[in-house]
Amino acid sequence: MARVSLTIDGNRLEVDAGATILQAAKGAGIEIPHLCYLESLPPSSACRLCVVEVEGARNLVASCSYPVVTDMVVRTNTERVAKARRLALELLLSDHPFDCMTCEKSGACDLERYAYELGVSTTRFQGEKHAYPIDETNPFFVRDYNKCILCGRCVTACNEVQFVEAIDLTHRGFNTRVAAPFDRPLQESTCIFCGQCVAVCPVGALTEKLRRFKGREWELRKVATVCPYCGVGCNIELSVKDDRIIKVTSPATGVVNEGRLCVKGKFGFDYVNSPDRLTTPLIREGGKDGRFREASWEEALDVVASRLRQIKEESGPDSLAVTTSAKCTNEENYLLQKFARAVLGTNNVDHCARLCHASTVTGLGMAFGSAAMTNSIGEIRYADCIFIIGSNTSENHPVIALEVKEAVRRGGAKLIVADPRKIEMVEFADLWLRQNPGTDVALINGMVNVIISENLYDAEFVRRRTEGFEQLKEGIKDYHPSYVAQITGVPADDLCKAARTYARSPRASILYAMGITQHVAGTDNVLALANLALLTGNLGKESSGVNPLRGQNNVQGACDMGALPNFLPGYQLVVDKDVRGRFEEAWQTPLPDQPGLTLMEMMHEAEAGEIKGMYIMGEDPVLSHPNSARVVKGLKNLDFLVVQDIFLSETAKLADVVLPGVSFAEKDGTFTNTERRIQRVRKAIEPIGESRADWLIISELASKLGHPMRYEGPEVIMDEIASLTPIYGGVHYDRLNGRGLQWPCRDRQDLGTRYLHKDQFPRGLGKFHPIGYQEPSELPDDEYPFILSTGRVLFHWHGGTISRRSTGLTAIYPEAKVEINPQDAEVLRCSDGDLVQVVSRRGKVIAKAKVTDRSPQGVVFMTFHFREAAANLLTVDTLDPVAKIPEFKICSVQINKCS
Amino acid sequence: MSKIGTPQELDSLRESILKKRDPNNTCVTVCGGTGCTAWGGDGVRAAFAEEIERRGLENKVEVKKTGCHGFCERGPLVVILPKEIFYPQVTKDDVPEIVSKTIIGEEIVERLLYTDPASGKKIVFDYEVPFYAKQRRIVFRDNGRIDPTDISDYIAHDGYAALSKALTSMTPQQIIEAVEESGLRGRGGAGFPTGRKWRLVRAAIGDTRYIVCNGDEGDPGAFMDRSVLEGNPHLVLEGMLIAAYAIGAKAGYVYVRAEYPLAVKHLRTAISQAEELGLLGENILGSGFSFEIRIKEGAGAFVCGEETALLASIEGRRGMPRPRPPFPAQAGLWGKPTNINNVETYANVPSIIINGADWYSRLGTETSKGTKIFSLTGKVNNTGLVEVPMGTTLGEVIDGIGGGIPKGRRFKAVQTGGPSGGCIPSTQLGLPIDYESLAAVGSIMGSGGMVIMDETTCMVDIARYFLTFTQTESCGKCVPCRLGTKRMLEILTRITEGKGAEGDIELLVELGEGIKDASLCGLGQTCPNPVLSTINYFRDEYEAHIREKRCPAAVCEALVYAPCEHSCPLNVDAVGYIALISEGRFGEALNLVRERNPLAGICGRVCHHPCEDKCRRGDLDEPIAIATLKRFAADYGAKAGIETKVSLAKPRNEKVAIVGSGPAGLNAAFHLARRGYQATIFEALPVVGGMLAVGIPEYRLPREVLQADIEFITGLGVEIKTNTPVGPDLSSGGLLEQGFKAVFIAVGAHKGQKLAIPGEDLEGVFDGVSFLRDLNLGKGVSLGDKVAVIGGGNVAVDAARSALRLGAKRASIVYRRSREEMPANEEEIEEAEREGIEFLYLAAPSRILGRDGKVMSMECIRMELGEFDASGRRRPVPIKGSEFLMDVDTVVSAIGQSPDLSFLGGDDGLDTTTGGTFVVDPVTLATNRPSVFAGGDAVTGPATVIEAMAAGEKAAISIDRYLRGQDMREKRFREPRKRAEEAWEAETEATTERRLEIPRLPIKERLCDFRQVNLGFSEEMAVKEAKRCLRCDLRK
Repeated sequence: MARVSLTIDGNRLEVDAGATILQAAKGAGIEIPHLCYLESLPPSSACRLCVVEVEGARNLVASCSYPVVTDMVVRTNTERVAKARRLALELLLSDHPFDCMTCEKSGACDLERYAYELGVSTTRFQGEKHAYPIDETNPFFVRDYNKCILCGRCVTACNEVQFVEAIDLTHRGFNTRVAAPFDRPLQESTCIFCGQCVAVCPVGALTEKLRRFKGREWELRKVATVCPYCGVGCNIELSVKDDRIIKVTSPATGVVNEGRLCVKGKFGFDYVNSPDRLTTPLIREGGKDGRFREASWEEALDVVASRLRQIKEESGPDSLAVTTSAKCTNEENYLLQKFARAVLGTNNVDHCARLCHASTVTGLGMAFGSAAMTNSIGEIRYADCIFIIGSNTSENHPVIALEVKEAVRRGGAKLIVADPRKIEMVEFADLWLRQNPGTDVALINGMVNVIISENLYDAEFVRRRTEGFEQLKEGIKDYHPSYVAQITGVPADDLCKAARTYARSPRASILYAMGITQHVAGTDNVLALANLALLTGNLGKESSGVNPLRGQNNVQGACDMGALPNFLPGYQLVVDKDVRGRFEEAWQTPLPDQPGLTLMEMMHEAEAGEIKGMYIMGEDPVLSHPNSARVVKGLKNLDFLVVQDIFLSETAKLADVVLPGVSFAEKDGTFTNTERRIQRVRKAIEPIGESRADWLIISELASKLGHPMRYEGPEVIMDEIASLTPIYGGVHYDRLNGRGLQWPCRDRQDLGTRYLHKDQFPRGLGKFHPIGYQEPSELPDDEYPFILSTGRVLFHWHGGTISRRSTGLTAIYPEAKVEINPQDAEVLRCSDGDLVQVVSRRGKVIAKAKVTDRSPQGVVFMTFHFREAAANLLTVDTLDPVAKIPEFKICSVQINKCS
Repeated sequence: MSKIGTPQELDSLRESILKKRDPNNTCVTVCGGTGCTAWGGDGVRAAFAEEIERRGLENKVEVKKTGCHGFCERGPLVVILPKEIFYPQVTKDDVPEIVSKTIIGEEIVERLLYTDPASGKKIVFDYEVPFYAKQRRIVFRDNGRIDPTDISDYIAHDGYAALSKALTSMTPQQIIEAVEESGLRGRGGAGFPTGRKWRLVRAAIGDTRYIVCNGDEGDPGAFMDRSVLEGNPHLVLEGMLIAAYAIGAKAGYVYVRAEYPLAVKHLRTAISQAEELGLLGENILGSGFSFEIRIKEGAGAFVCGEETALLASIEGRRGMPRPRPPFPAQAGLWGKPTNINNVETYANVPSIIINGADWYSRLGTETSKGTKIFSLTGKVNNTGLVEVPMGTTLGEVIDGIGGGIPKGRRFKAVQTGGPSGGCIPSTQLGLPIDYESLAAVGSIMGSGGMVIMDETTCMVDIARYFLTFTQTESCGKCVPCRLGTKRMLEILTRITEGKGAEGDIELLVELGEGIKDASLCGLGQTCPNPVLSTINYFRDEYEAHIREKRCPAAVCEALVYAPCEHSCPLNVDAVGYIALISEGRFGEALNLVRERNPLAGICGRVCHHPCEDKCRRGDLDEPIAIATLKRFAADYGAKAGIETKVSLAKPRNEKVAIVGSGPAGLNAAFHLARRGYQATIFEALPVVGGMLAVGIPEYRLPREVLQADIEFITGLGVEIKTNTPVGPDLSSGGLLEQGFKAVFIAVGAHKGQKLAIPGEDLEGVFDGVSFLRDLNLGKGVSLGDKVAVIGGGNVAVDAARSALRLGAKRASIVYRRSREEMPANEEEIEEAEREGIEFLYLAAPSRILGRDGKVMSMECIRMELGEFDASGRRRPVPIKGSEFLMDVDTVVSAIGQSPDLSFLGGDDGLDTTTGGTFVVDPVTLATNRPSVFAGGDAVTGPATVIEAMAAGEKAAISIDRYLRGQDMREKRFREPRKRAEEAWEAETEATTERRLEIPRLPIKERLCDFRQVNLGFSEEMAVKEAKRCLRCDLRK
């Protein structure tokens, strides 16, 4: 980069061309005060505190935005500059309350700081002061207009970082202030309550509600950790006082999210200190219909140990099943699958990945030989084309959505969104393909067809890195655009346009999630996407790839840890004798050699009486599994059910023994995010009540069952993982501070892997799979005329176990809604807010109608967050034959307006 | 019309249009600009069309709706071509007459012609109207001539010839060079060289470039952009096209205010017509150059005139400036290099291309080339749009084109450049208008607004007004502008409400300079200008508001009880006594006058009555005859023998000496006596009254009137010692030793100034004040037959009129400037004219020639008015070789006077100025010696009676405070008057009568003696006149 030399305060320095004066000065150790400037935001030059003198310039210039020029002479400390700064402060103070003694920001307030540093203790301007009412209308934060200095950071953050554009300056002159459109409450705007505005506010104008009067800034202890919600793995800092989390912030320097969060990460933490937390073990007395009583750990663990031992002895190890948790740490998942295999002696271990990305594991495994996001989150913003299919990115992976928006808005990337629903990403898209639900294979095949027939594919890549091209060509030859249009409802022109845009872009990235995977054709869908990427050479390079967006915070890690019935840690096959041998040696016990049952199979076998005992850690299948009436039936049919959780979930309510685990904030460990990044989770507070870290519970239970597990702590467990898991081979806690590590990371020297398949695929060549379109398992008919699709919303999380125990999240989104297209609503004679009954062949629920054109005609959408209106009572449990993932996304229902 | 594919086709289209037109055909152009439309122009045009059709003249006479002619004040404007016969303010009813007489009969309709207010002459032709004659119209060239909705009319006037020339014979580089060489600078206000900007945009990296035309004309009172867009939209489009070709842009925007519906409509029409002809769109004139233009209507935010805010607004974001660099030339609209110029800038371009850079750069000044349009508004006779070459002086525009200030009031300031401009005072009228000169005096060119203010404008209030605008239009982004202007506004408001404090001015300056220095955009960087410039040039007005709670212009509502009362230096409750007179309560009226002014009879005759100048009735027709009503009350009291009662304080022991019995001394004595002091006046002359007695001739102020007022004062216990000069033996120090606790020196200015020309010592040369003094003291004064008085003040007029009364056959007044600048009271001049005094304006004596030691003749030289000088008047400049002789035997010099302080003997230690006046504290009138005060003409130099009286009161207050041991400065100023409890409620509306003519002595009866000329009102007249009062005191 070109360098520029200039003089600041008499010092000659050389800086990169394009640097601002403020940056140059900072480099030279000269601090320039500033209120509106923030390194992570584009400068707005509003506060005028950073003004400096530049020789030859008529006026003072704002150093935060003024670029350096060769031989520029800058003075930052003249009397003229000092006068201007003091005047600006004095003016700000003239319309600012002097209530620092009760202001939450005191101690971290920039205005306070500079007033002190520049000695501006009072103001000569005794004019009008604003006395705006304080805006407390939203559940998350308070906006005190009287403290606002109109630096504009919140507006910039909202518009330029989060791309939400919910707020802007409004009114003029002295009455200028920040507001949502038409001065309406934020709830009525596009606001997503990400809290970015709160995060960047330099004064006490925006403060988190939960922190109010809970602690002064200087009393807070900050603990760096990872967000417990989705698989993005945002870096957060917990501010703690008196064993209580007061607020969550995120450092702008943080890897993955660079200070950006979503509403759950920013405001959804108070479940940790919820009064509903389990604080002691519970034992059911009086048989299946009996009631829980509190018990000591000793007693509870004894009961669990003896019952499990008993079942194992009576019915064999394979009559037991274990589900681990994608919400728990790697170490805990590792221990629990080890517990299942080495202590209980069964491969019946699985977890909820089965419900979300099992088809990814199978599909990408078949195509590439490895199933994870091929590329990193941070690469998305440099892609030339992004193809989002089956991912409601902005609601389910908000921070990844920001990367996409960044790519579109600043990088000029072309965005193609394929989704039956008009999700928010559509607003950013160049092209929206609104395919009929369940027609993804046809759609993707259509694109492949266009690319091949128009010769847009990367022939060199196909020749060198793939196999099966001819079969593919043959397999998709019928999928010409007009035929595909008939199936998918996507106009042929749009399909061609999408294919061309994707194929012609030097770097095209596919992002997908459960819209692809949760189908009976889930594996096919994934294979079809793999075809598309292989065909265009969008693999093994930056900002491209096939990127499954993983759902839960540690679902990637749970898979990596072998919480799968067919894999030992690191995707090492249980059927592989050598692999097994290494583990048997390390664990000093023989291991079962056949793959165990998958999650849905376990439930079905429980119903059938084959599974008699089950150990469920941190999952709530009653809400999260399809056709949940059947799940309940199965669980009730068990001889013995142990649930280890932090709340008395719907599933825990059916348990014989409930063991209180702890939240992410009460233990150490690691999570692996969707981009394969292993990051440290750090203990911030002591376990609530008698609850215990999950790894500790498992260890003790193992010991009671005669397999002593004595770990000093999670770090030691990770060392064991690393020794047995080649892709984690180089992982050690010492190396995880800061940016973490992305697997494969084979040894201590390995810096990890940003993107996969650079030179070759784990299976050697990438393999094309010709895939045919098949219809979903249950299609609408006269009796059940609507398609029900399920998913999540921004404000909630899974079964709602934790998000519904966050006061803010619950307040903003208190109940289930059924999204109905306006035309359907008209036919049904129901309007927004009316109660409707949704009935499928398996059950019925009642919820409020939300009339919106997000849903296409004939399709209704529900979330599964609400037990009161549990969508999974309705869903089908038909499985993808390969991945055994159920078809959550499509079943048929009837809608009746409740009278 | 079909598409034009080549330059040749454009030429032949032009030819075919012209061929169809007969240049000798009559064309009635009716202005269709917004101004004239508001005056009813559309109706007039329709009436013409109808009348012409009715007479079957459709084929011979064309009726055309044109754009704005500029002289909006006189709309609707009609110009009949080809002769350019000019009819302003035409109504529908005038149309048949114009058609029958002027169009058919080739005869002028006298009554409809324009009368030049300056010369009173009727003017027939458009180009002879001074408003137009002194302009130089380039941008406006065709504005009043062509139909803006018809592209063929534009083409007929060589429209798009510049584009054709540019596309066929010039490279983009050559165009940029031409514009650079022309010296054209941005007409939006900042004055950035247009060519250089184009070069920067062309050089910027990237393939996509934009052209933006800034038509967000937000300055109150400025409407030149609107006028051009309405009147000649193709001119702007052509300029944009040339610019686009030069910089390599394919698309452009015109950002125009939605409040300009006619401009938007005409632009749309123009764009679609140009598109139809292929002058916009793909492959223009076959050159391969393509360009499209879109209109963006602005929602009326002033700050959107700022280029980065404007671009944000086009992009659909909040119109808010962003930091520069990067400049729009590098990263403008949607981040692409963008050329943004103002409407008027683009409108200049076609002329430059056609006529060449040299032609253009010959107009204007060294740094500012070409012409500039100004919108002349406010207190000026001719308001409207004015295009003049850069470098024209402010005075020429305001006076020469604007026709000066209405109602004979005085010019006070001109505010240029819109609300962010500065107020430029009369001392700068000689300033050539260019970017640098305006900046040097604290203002800006801006978009060319020019708001003229006269003496009825309060400069604090006007600064507050402009700041109110800029504060409410501040986008609120940066701290100095958002909060700084608010605080400034609050301080200003405080000052105008009489709540200002010492230090406020300094705080305003600090804030203003701080805001200018540190604000983000041009709005903040300029908006303190009105405040800073008014403080700079009119600081005394601020100080009057703060220290005296007085608004000199009698505007600020909180301070002003009524303008008449407020503008009276003595704050006599004029509105009150007028109300009493209107009810026939004459005695009470006199009492009310004397409550503040003991010299009611005198002031009713000789006061220059600033009250009448500020009288709001004067804005309607003529001011109330306030002075004459006061005189009526005094005369009534004298006649009816009414004894005036005023309140008196308990007597005090302290004695106070007053030196001089003129108006200052008398009023000081009056106020000291009322405060209980024993006041003694020492008068050197044998008569009491100072200049009242020895300066003003009897025909203006009869002795018995003077006597009556003096007796009113002596009746309060004041002692007056005549023939008692205070000299070395009775110096002020001596007075103090005699037991006087304080001394007020009010000796006036009785020493005449010398002419300083050869022959001044000849017999027959008199000094005006001495002459009047001798005359009034009854000393025999013999003048010759042919008297010439030199000077233009009241002394000169008094001397001349007295000379006639003394038997002179001819009396002339020689004054070096023109009548307008003459400082004497207007009615005195008028009476002198009636009495046959000969006035020689623009002449000055150069020497007095004598024979035998006596005056024989006087050589004068003619003068002409040149540049405006520091007094705000045109400087008289001698015309070489214009000397002429005046046959005179007497010369009276009345060019000014100064105090005669020789009586002090020089050992009193009192500080004096080089001009020979006392140095005093302006608030307390204290001299450098404790207990000694001075005031009146002895301090100010020759001023007026009422000002001298005000000084007397001021001294009395100081002396009272001094003797009581109080602070002399603190809170000495009275609270604004509140309406009396027993209010004279106006029961009826003010009458609509015109001001009554004051009865005067017939001319033939005047010249034989010194009888009073002004006869005053009868009771009936007084009541009638008083009923005209608008009762400003009741308005709240």
